[in-house]
Amino acid sequence: MNTKKKITAIAAAAPQQVAAHDAGDISLHASRLSLALEGKNILRDISFSLPAQGINVLIGPSGAGKSTLLRCLNMLHTQWQGDLQIMGRDVRKWPDSEDGLRRTIGLIAQKPTLFPCSIQQNIVFGLSRKDRNHMPENRIKKVLKQAALWDEVKNRLHDQAATLSVGQQQRLCIARALMLSPNMLLLDEPTASLDPRSRQFIEASLLELSENMPVLCVTHDIEQAKRLGGKIIFMCDGRLIESGDSKLFFKHPNRIESREFLRWSVCDCS
Amino acid sequence: MLNLWMRTSALISLLVVVVMLGFLLQQSWPYWQHDGLNPLLSGDWYPYEHLFGLAAAIIGSFWAALIALAIAIPTGLAAAVMSTEILPGPWRSLMRSGMELLAGIPSVVYGLLGLWILLPLLQSNLHLLTGHNLLAAGLLLSVMVLPTIMVMTQDALCEVSSHQRDTAASLGMGWSARLWRVLLPQAWPGIRSGILLALGRALGETMAVMLVVGSMDRIPDPWYNLLAPAQTLTSRIGREIGESAFGSMHFSALMACGLLLALITITISMLAHIRSDKISVNRP
Repeated sequence: MNTKKKITAIAAAAPQQVAAHDAGDISLHASRLSLALEGKNILRDISFSLPAQGINVLIGPSGAGKSTLLRCLNMLHTQWQGDLQIMGRDVRKWPDSEDGLRRTIGLIAQKPTLFPCSIQQNIVFGLSRKDRNHMPENRIKKVLKQAALWDEVKNRLHDQAATLSVGQQQRLCIARALMLSPNMLLLDEPTASLDPRSRQFIEASLLELSENMPVLCVTHDIEQAKRLGGKIIFMCDGRLIESGDSKLFFKHPNRIESREFLRWSVCDCS
Repeated sequence: MLNLWMRTSALISLLVVVVMLGFLLQQSWPYWQHDGLNPLLSGDWYPYEHLFGLAAAIIGSFWAALIALAIAIPTGLAAAVMSTEILPGPWRSLMRSGMELLAGIPSVVYGLLGLWILLPLLQSNLHLLTGHNLLAAGLLLSVMVLPTIMVMTQDALCEVSSHQRDTAASLGMGWSARLWRVLLPQAWPGIRSGILLALGRALGETMAVMLVVGSMDRIPDPWYNLLAPAQTLTSRIGREIGESAFGSMHFSALMACGLLLALITITISMLAHIRSDKISVNRP
């Protein structure tokens, strides 16, 4: 079989299946997740699992469905089909509704979105009124340290959040999500519009956080995916093409789409 | 040439306001000269005895506007939230079109509907001698200003970015928390402008109010008696301007009513604009 035929045969094969895990090791398990919006298939039969801790990087070209997948995991999109279990529970039967589920999954958007109030008020924004009023300062300090922001804002917690730089705003969003003590973090290209220094801060912070919880970070920056390491999930045209260990993926990608993407940062699988 | 034309147009628009206020001040000057600001505190309006107290009409105007806003603000806000946040697209458009139609109906038609439907209803249900009263004027005005509040609230809610909505939702905030802590506070400057414009319209409405308010030149007794026939600044001008001789004290007193009304509505409009400007500056 010549090389071209080999590649075609590999491409036609079923997407690589995720290895089975014990339920205790898995924080999230998605099975045959599909979503169609306005008659267009955005996600097609996505199946993958996230371990109980560690960093996971979701990569793929623009329009692959990465951000949509995150929104499905967080139940911002609810029209999907398939099975989705978080901490062994079916998300459709989550005990305290979608809002309760969202509190256990921190979602950080690409564009830092702050509310027009102080830094401190932004951090506690997601809490109930009672918790907001009686929040101990060391808890705020803890999450700001986790988000690598404490040193920069410790003397200006009552300043307007809008006075922060974009990089600081993004870290504030991470701190705000951490304030809810989530069981996992989902990040949608958190460093897309940031300078290298801010990017470095956030990457370091994510790696530290991933020691205690699963972190799923969307990016289309291959270099960032290499830096973050962990597990790679590669998507293209709404499909999960390949997933596995980061080092293996970058060294020996199994699928032709993965190779194309790694070479040219684009994929022509649609 | 275009620049000159635009500058001239802007200048003319400004001049119209200044000239209008100047004319009202000039025509009402004999009245202010005669009694100073005392008539503002007097409720006696007997033109044949040369008594021209303005207090009854000022109180009537504010009562009617207050009743209208007390009904229209919660109703308009709830309808706007319902249509922008809950109803599906086609229903939202239908509701918006309905409100825009409501805003386009001439005020005299509202007045006629008030005469034929509202007054008999009030009279029979509240066992009154007549349905003409402040409550009737307030109820009618509430329907008339409802579209202003609703449409401006809808616009203000639509301007709250989807990022803010999604962020609030992703923090696990329930629908009511998102409404009270994100949507309404961020839309508030626009809502406030809508309320101020509605207040301006309620104070300035003439024809519909004139048909239902009762035109009784008396401060309600007690002052909170909304079921008493009363008078507003606009209905007084509308009803009496034809009977007053040009240049007489009666005419001058009516011009004073006009000046007061103009100053109040201009102040309200300016407040609404100041707030609108601040929104665009502060919006994140």
